[in-house]
Amino acid sequence: MIANPGRAARRKLISGLFTGACMLATGVALVALLLILWSLLTQGLSGINLDIITKDTSAGGLRNAIVGSVMMCLVAMVFSVVVGILAGTWLAEIGGDTRYGHTVRFLNDVLLSAPSILVGVFVTTILVNPFGGASGWAGAVALAILATPVVTRTTEDILNLQPSSLREASMALGASQFVTVRRVIWKAAGAGLLTGGLLGFARISGETAPLLHTAGDTQFMHEPWWDIPGMMSNQNASLPVMMYNFALSPFEDANKLAWAGAVLLAFAVLGINVLGRWLAREKKM
Amino acid sequence: MSDMTTQDIQSVIVPPPADSLVLEAKKLSFFYGTHQALHGVDLPVKRNAITALIGPSGCGKSTLLRILNRIYDLYPGQRAEGEILLDGENILSPKVDVTALRARIGMVFQKPTPFPMSIYDNVAFGVRLHASKSSAEMDEIVEESLRRAALWDEVKDKLHKSGLGLSGGQQQRLCVARGIAVNPEILLLDEPASALDPISTAKLEDTLEELKRDYTIVIVTHNLQQAARLSDYTGFMFLGKMIEFGPTADLFVTPKVAKTGEYIGGRFG
Repeated sequence: MIANPGRAARRKLISGLFTGACMLATGVALVALLLILWSLLTQGLSGINLDIITKDTSAGGLRNAIVGSVMMCLVAMVFSVVVGILAGTWLAEIGGDTRYGHTVRFLNDVLLSAPSILVGVFVTTILVNPFGGASGWAGAVALAILATPVVTRTTEDILNLQPSSLREASMALGASQFVTVRRVIWKAAGAGLLTGGLLGFARISGETAPLLHTAGDTQFMHEPWWDIPGMMSNQNASLPVMMYNFALSPFEDANKLAWAGAVLLAFAVLGINVLGRWLAREKKM
Repeated sequence: MSDMTTQDIQSVIVPPPADSLVLEAKKLSFFYGTHQALHGVDLPVKRNAITALIGPSGCGKSTLLRILNRIYDLYPGQRAEGEILLDGENILSPKVDVTALRARIGMVFQKPTPFPMSIYDNVAFGVRLHASKSSAEMDEIVEESLRRAALWDEVKDKLHKSGLGLSGGQQQRLCVARGIAVNPEILLLDEPASALDPISTAKLEDTLEELKRDYTIVIVTHNLQQAARLSDYTGFMFLGKMIEFGPTADLFVTPKVAKTGEYIGGRFG
C-alpha cells in the first residue's frame, strides 16, 4: 500500500521532531509566564489588603495611583476610540485604496511600533514644558497617542473581515454608504470593535515611559475627589510610575507596595484581555 | 464544448409586446477594468412576469443583473455602456439617484445576507430608509412582507430574535421579505436557491409565483428546470452575449438558435 516506506518513515520522524520543537517553545514561554506570576504572587500577595484601596501612597496604600491610572486611561480611551474607530472605518470603507489612504496606514503602523518613551518626550515638549509642568491631561494625551493606532488598526482589520455581500445587500435596499456602515457594518463588527478598544486599554494601562515626565507623581489624592478637572490639571500618580519609583526605593515598605501594585496591574490587564476575547467569541456563534 | 466564439451565432430576440415592458436594456456592454464581460446585450423585461436568465458559468448573467440596480457602482473600475430604460429614463445616467433607484429595483443575492439584527429589524431596515412609519404601520408592513415571503408562520413568535439564528432557507426568505418590504417595482434574484435544500427551494419558488402578481421578477438561475417551471420569458446567455430571448415555452421546446438547444439538451455548460 505504501509506495515508499522509507520516505513515509522519514516524514513521520520530521513531523515528530517539528511537533516536539513547537511544544518545547510553547513550554519555555509558559514556564516564563508562570515564573513571573509566581514571583508576583509570592512577593505581592502579602501586600494586598484593604489599605491598598482606602489609603494613599503617603499612608501605605495605592488609592491615588489606582485612581490616577484609571482616570488617565479612561480619558485617553475616549479620544482613542473615537479617533481610532473613525480612522479605521475610513481606511477600510472609504479611502483605504487612495494614495492618501496608503500614507495614513503606513504612518499609523509606524506609530503603532513607536517606542513609548518617544511619545513621552514628544508630549513633554509640546504640553508639559510650555504649560508649566506635568499634569494628568498631558499623561492622558501621551496614552491616547499610544492607544489610537492600536484601535485604528484593529478597526480596519475587523471591518475588512465583514463580507462585501453585507454591504451590497444594504445598498441594494437603497441605503447610503453612511447608513450601511453605521447600521449594518459597525453592528456586525461590534464585538470586534469592542475587543480592539479593550486591547488598546490593556496596552496603555501598563505604560510607564510616556507617563514619567508627563503626568508626574504625587503622594496624595486630589481634594476634593470629585473635582476631576482639578485632579487632571495637576500631577497625577499612576500604578506603573509608582511601581517604577517604589521598586527602586531603599525602604522595604515601598518595595512591598510596588509589588502589590504589580499584582493589581497584572491582573487588571489579564482581566481586560480575557474580557475582550470572551466578548469577541460570544457574538460569533 | 464545441467552440468558444459567438462570432457566427446570430442572436434571436423575441421580445414581449412593447406596451407590456417595464424595463428594457439595450446594447448593454460591461467592463471589469479592461476586461469586457458583456457585449451589446438586449434584455426586455415584461411587467408582472418572471424573466429568467440562464447560461453556463461566467456567461455574464449575474453581471447583467448587477447592472440593473447599479450595485456595480460600489466598485471603482467597473463601468457599463448602453442604455437601460425604466419608464423611458436611462438609469445608467450619472444624474440618476441610485438610492431611489434601488428602492424601486430590489435585489436578493445568491447567499442569504441577513443583517446582524432582529428578524423584525431586518424587514423594517429598508422601509425606515425611505419613509417614516408609525409603529403600527410598521408592524403591518413587517407581517405582510413576511407572509408574502412564506416565512410568517415560522417566525411570528420570535420576531425580535436575531435573523442570524434562522436556517439558510429561512434566511433567504427573510431576505426576500426584506426586499419586498420597501415595495419595489422590480425584484432581481441572483441564484436565490443555489444554497438551499430542495424543500426550501420549493417554498421559495411558491413565493415567487405568488409575488409575480404584484412585482416584476428577474431571476438568474443555473437550474434549467427551475427556469422552465417558473418563468414566462427566458434569456439564454453565452460568453457575454444574449444568444436567444423569448417566451419560456418556445425557448425550451423549440429553440431557434442551435447553441440554445445544445445548452438545454445538456451538451455543454
